[in-house]
Amino acid sequence: MPVQGIRTVTAARNGVGAFILQCKRLDFHYCDWAGSSRGMVSFLKNSLASFAKANPQIEIRVSPRPHKHPVIKGHYINGREKAVCVRNLEPEQIVQKANLLKEASGEKNKRTKKPVTSINDSVRGIWSPFHGDTKTV
Amino acid sequence: MRSSLRLLNLEAPTLQGSKTLYVCSVCRQETRPRPALARQFLRNSSTTPITERVRRKIWGTDSPPGLEDPYGGQSVLEKKFKKDQPEQRPQRTQEPDDGWRNIDEASAGVETAPSGEYEPATTWEGLARVGHLGRWTDFPASEVDEYTSFKSKKRLTKPNHHALAAHQAAVEICLMQSLNKPLASVCDVVEHQEPIFDLLWKCRIKPADGQWNGALVYPDEKAEQVLAYVFEQIGSQAQTESAAEDAAEADEAEPETVDPEAPRSLFFNKAHVRDKGYLRLSLADPATKFAFLKRFSQLTGHYFPDPVINSISSVREAIQYVGGELSLKSLKLDAKPQKLGPQLTASKTLQDLPNVKVFEKRQKRVDRDEELGRKKVIEAALRERGLIQ
Repeated sequence: MPVQGIRTVTAARNGVGAFILQCKRLDFHYCDWAGSSRGMVSFLKNSLASFAKANPQIEIRVSPRPHKHPVIKGHYINGREKAVCVRNLEPEQIVQKANLLKEASGEKNKRTKKPVTSINDSVRGIWSPFHGDTKTV
Repeated sequence: MRSSLRLLNLEAPTLQGSKTLYVCSVCRQETRPRPALARQFLRNSSTTPITERVRRKIWGTDSPPGLEDPYGGQSVLEKKFKKDQPEQRPQRTQEPDDGWRNIDEASAGVETAPSGEYEPATTWEGLARVGHLGRWTDFPASEVDEYTSFKSKKRLTKPNHHALAAHQAAVEICLMQSLNKPLASVCDVVEHQEPIFDLLWKCRIKPADGQWNGALVYPDEKAEQVLAYVFEQIGSQAQTESAAEDAAEADEAEPETVDPEAPRSLFFNKAHVRDKGYLRLSLADPATKFAFLKRFSQLTGHYFPDPVINSISSVREAIQYVGGELSLKSLKLDAKPQKLGPQLTASKTLQDLPNVKVFEKRQKRVDRDEELGRKKVIEAALRERGLIQ
């Protein structure tokens, strides 16, 4: 009886066909008293509405956290959380941090060592024109 | 001396001197004639340099021919340094700085050290100062370093003094306005002489609708001329030169600051202001307000906080604040800053967004349990175990 290989079935890849944003919730915490929350307060007053309007699929919660530094906390669909302290940051920098959390997958940060990342690794490596026989046209 | 060397000749003198007075080994070494080996070492301590000694040994005589120093004497840098030294010396001593002078004197003393015998110092006097870097912290305070307060040191507390100060400031600013001079420069002259102050005191202010323009009424024409001449000299210097022709009047009417050491009477013992028209003057114009409050603050010694300056709108209110009738509380300036939570909750744009939820209070674990629907279960379990009532 001939040996049969296991048949590959298409695995779901986020973004192939449909893209589901991994971030489901963003919590914004601030302090009314502390100076390190000045940028955060300014962001919440002026930029939060536009940010929320641009990202309707993310739930946004704003709550005070007295006598603590301001924090943005992202909740992801894989059950993980990511928190970024935004003390003494300007509103523009806070927007950048919020976007960073929004675009994150929720996975732990991994170090990429190889030049190409693939789910179907090549055995031959990356092709280079400077290796092998000289080709003449 | 080396210990091995010392041991060589130790025995014989000890035996010899055993019958006489006891001498310790150190003293015995001092008095004992030195051996040839020890003399060899001592030769190194002579003033003759080693190069010269080598030369003598080579030639076999104490006066060998050729240069004393076989390596060509001083180097180029040494020669240059010696040549430059006499030129630098007088330049340094001309510096006015005391600290540097001390250092120079000290260094000069080292170089021109007398060839006489060395005498150890018993006191610090006359010795070179070591470790002085000549920084500004080491020098005594100069005239520039002295601080003089802008405001008067004494805060006036009596209402009549406040009124006199406000009247004087108002009249001065009216004068500066009529002369088209910078208003705030009235503060350049802290206190006027008595005849000038008398003229200022006699002036009346009759403002029309709180306006400063044309509000000043002089007692007579001569007073107007004198005051105009005096205040012409305050502020910019360009106009002063044109007015300086009248030298006779200048001696009498030149504004001078009063010597702070001399005993002074407040407002030259004037008890009250002659009219109360100045109270109606408006402080709506920011430049006028700034100039008036600056001068008023200088005369009375009272400080005006920024929120108060912002809220004051007339001369009457300024006097009321100084007199204690107005306070931060009555001006409603002591209100606590509004919290962000209620502001965001009231915001219409955020209310319209379905994905935004604003909490006015801190969210705790209990709130999370309640939201997830397990608060009742947890409470029931705790009650069952008797942990909560």
